[in-house]
Amino acid sequence: MAAALFATVCLIAACGLVYELVAGALASYLLGDSVTQFSTVIGVYLASMGIGSWLSRYLTRGLAARFVSIELLVAVVGGWSSTLLFLAFAYTESFRVALYAIVAIIGMLVGLEVPLLMRLLRERFTFKDVVANVLTFDYLGALIASILFPLVLVPKLGLVRAALGFGIVNAVVALWSTWLFRGVLGAPRALRIACGVVLVTLVGGFVAGDKLMAAAERGLYADDVIFARTTPYQRIVLTVWKDDLRLYLNNHLQFSSRDEYRYHEALVHPGLAALPAARRVLILGGGDGLALREVLRYPGVASATLVDLDGEMTKLFTTHHDLAALNRRSFSDPRVTVVNADAFSWLDAHDDTFDFVVVDFPDPSNYAVGKLYTTAFYRLLKRHLARGGRIVVQSTSPLFARASFWCIDRTLRDAGFATSPYHLYVPSFGEWGFVLAGVDPYVAPTTLPGGLRFLSLAQLGPMFDFPLDMRAVAVEPNRLNDQVLVRYYEKEFEQINR
Amino acid sequence: MSDAQSVSRRAFVAASAAALVGLTHKGERGVRGGFVEDGGAAGHRLRDNASLGPVRERRRLPLVIVGGGMAGLSAAWWCEKHGFRDYLLLESGDEAGGNARAGRNDVSGYPWGAHYVPVPGKQAMLARVLFEDLGVLRNGVWDERTLCHSPQERLFWRGEWHEGFEPMLNDSAADRAEFRRFQDRLDGLRSSGEFTIPVSRGRPARSALDALTLAQWLDREGFRSRALRWYADYAVRDDYGTAARDASAWAGLHYFVAREPDEKGPLTWPEGNGWIVKRLLERIGTRVRTGATVRAVSRPHGGRVVVVRTEDAEFTADACIWAAPIFVAARVIDGFGASPPLTTAPWLVANLTLREWPDERGSAPAWDNTIVDSPGLGYVNATHQRLSRPGGPTVWTYYHALVQQTPLEARRALRAMSWRDASEFVLSDLERAHPTLRRVVERVDIRRYAHAMARPEPGFLSAPWRSALAASRGPIWYGHADLSGLSVFEEAQDQGVRAARRALAHIGRG
Repeated sequence: MAAALFATVCLIAACGLVYELVAGALASYLLGDSVTQFSTVIGVYLASMGIGSWLSRYLTRGLAARFVSIELLVAVVGGWSSTLLFLAFAYTESFRVALYAIVAIIGMLVGLEVPLLMRLLRERFTFKDVVANVLTFDYLGALIASILFPLVLVPKLGLVRAALGFGIVNAVVALWSTWLFRGVLGAPRALRIACGVVLVTLVGGFVAGDKLMAAAERGLYADDVIFARTTPYQRIVLTVWKDDLRLYLNNHLQFSSRDEYRYHEALVHPGLAALPAARRVLILGGGDGLALREVLRYPGVASATLVDLDGEMTKLFTTHHDLAALNRRSFSDPRVTVVNADAFSWLDAHDDTFDFVVVDFPDPSNYAVGKLYTTAFYRLLKRHLARGGRIVVQSTSPLFARASFWCIDRTLRDAGFATSPYHLYVPSFGEWGFVLAGVDPYVAPTTLPGGLRFLSLAQLGPMFDFPLDMRAVAVEPNRLNDQVLVRYYEKEFEQINR
Repeated sequence: MSDAQSVSRRAFVAASAAALVGLTHKGERGVRGGFVEDGGAAGHRLRDNASLGPVRERRRLPLVIVGGGMAGLSAAWWCEKHGFRDYLLLESGDEAGGNARAGRNDVSGYPWGAHYVPVPGKQAMLARVLFEDLGVLRNGVWDERTLCHSPQERLFWRGEWHEGFEPMLNDSAADRAEFRRFQDRLDGLRSSGEFTIPVSRGRPARSALDALTLAQWLDREGFRSRALRWYADYAVRDDYGTAARDASAWAGLHYFVAREPDEKGPLTWPEGNGWIVKRLLERIGTRVRTGATVRAVSRPHGGRVVVVRTEDAEFTADACIWAAPIFVAARVIDGFGASPPLTTAPWLVANLTLREWPDERGSAPAWDNTIVDSPGLGYVNATHQRLSRPGGPTVWTYYHALVQQTPLEARRALRAMSWRDASEFVLSDLERAHPTLRRVVERVDIRRYAHAMARPEPGFLSAPWRSALAASRGPIWYGHADLSGLSVFEEAQDQGVRAARRALAHIGRG
């Protein structure tokens, strides 16, 4: 009997510590900065334990029943804590509120447990034995948990199942307590049923733990995640919903298969169709092969070189069945050469020239990408342009990021290009813009390749006309030593997100 | 009872969780590195007046330049530029470059000292001529790749990095008001025309601002903002290796006021000003001799020629340009007289080779990365000017001017320091901003400079010995940043070229 009671103490101590460690580790995973996360979690947890201990004085009657109920509550809140926290991170803006609320609730309940248990035991043992034994087993339980946590629980079970597993332990302790304290518990039947229900749900959660985790990650995106990989350069995520395939790089939408043809036809054809003699084409970025697909429509194009930083991207879009179908297996075309390199360094190290260059980089949201939108970069690009050649630059949205768009235009002009900016509507992006640049002024094409779904000759004219709310604004050029574009972009996107 | 219980349990829970956090910090791997020879040995042989070896070479030539730092190299550049090649430049170290020397490893070139030149304004003619020569300035346009890329600087303050110093200087309304007043005050001084670069262009004979220290001037003007005071002190430690409490207010204000760049800069290279050194040495070719410590300079025959004696050679020249530190001149030049009252600043420079960028929080890595309230001056990232996406191994150059003690005490401390002490100092300073630094650092190589530069203390501007040396009628001409008192590129270049002009005129080749 005594051994069973003290084993109970040992187990509940272990459970309490595991929940605290789970909360600390989870906050570190999701928010980073483990020292801050652990410190604040421990602080809130210990303070809440103090509040729980203090509150225990107000519990005077039916101590055994209260103890069992508290155990059950700990089992429910603690057991589901990591699942709740994952979901809170995925679906709400207030992860920290959820984190500290859960830690505080568990802390208070655990703070209540031990004083109640001591008072229950006081009737069976001498006071000095109660204190000595309860504290001994309390510490022992904490030690076991602290060793199990990093060595077994996290590597073998993961955080979601570790918490659920210890929730089950708490629920079992509650059920077991109904026998231990059967002398003082009047009618434990209702309590036992409650224990059974809690146990069943926790076991169910434990078995389905992987699916819960996947659901939490899915919550970050609207649709089903069919592919996710972190490469040295970025996080690639593919989602699908019905027939809509979407690519996200670092959580930024790159295309939706429903309307990407609008974007890529508009990116390539106004420039390339106007150069009937173009033979050599260079694509910078565009690892999805979709701009390449449009380039390969021209039988006159003898070679297409695609330079993309991330080998994982080009590999994925070469080998993945649905993705290769989307770019019409363009990477397998004999005219195509793929280079996985940094575009700036690659241009600097080579001296090939091209008739048409597609510049399709991510938006200039940081200084590292911003370098690829500078006068220095465009001047270098100009040295790679054959006589009469032309480049086209993806230039963000002239509506949402008006200063950024016109800054790219200004930068190209400062680098010695004549520019022709244009825009179109892409439903999944909104209003989007490109800038055509060449040494000679641009002359619109008179024919377009067959099989297009969006672009027509009649459509071309209006694309080069900017409505009043998208017209040019006065901006500085973007230069290596003064990357104003990153600041424009940051400011404009802050305003949108507000 | 429950209280006593929860106190002890609380302690245990806290301790066990702390141990768990501790587990996540992997131990330090073996950091390699060592001291890089600072040329002190040759200098101290000179100081101790060690006996000279026999003369193995005697040569008669028109011009000898003593000292291969930026001043001596600039003097030689000027000679080359004017088609004069009949000279020899003597450098005591294993390589020329002085404070602008550089190192190189598999990862990158990196500076051992001077690492940038502020974009020369329209008035800094000589610097512009040099950069036109080197292809950095073409048709009035600065080479974009050589201009320091964005972001130029950031500050570690309140536990995270902030782009630029402005967030700290404008923190509270009071700070903001003082910073604005400080800038207004600087604008006023700028329009006085008293502060020029190089100093010789507009040097006033004396200035009331040279009679007090920068700290006294800040007191007098009622600047109390802690942020602003730190910033001012940082500026003079960084440029002159001297604290605000020791530096002349004129020198300190010169830092803020003198330059009027026509472009956002500065000019910088992975190996710092070692890039300039290398280009100048290409032009100088075989006319530089390293490992040649000048032990004695005399002026026999009524001063018509100069005899320059090294360990094993003797050169008789019509003219000599002394482009080495002035405190050495007093020991070496016969009849120089007493050593001028000039103190020098000891520095420690460390180059850290990193496997990858360590953890940090706040704004993106900049070229110059400063930690507020640090004894050091922060670090410069050698791979910042790369065109490719940042990432991979890199080299950081960490600078520390030892201003906490007197120069003499600091030199002793520097000499007594083991490499382990020194690298521990560097790592623990940087660790505040990069908790995982020790996990990624591979090497810490350290160079100790006992006498890095002259300290511009109050009165430096009107020191009589400076004007006396500048007015030399030959056949020894003095050209070194010590003559200006401000150890910066533009001053060294200006002094070196001035001496070269006079020496060439003297020997009829100017």
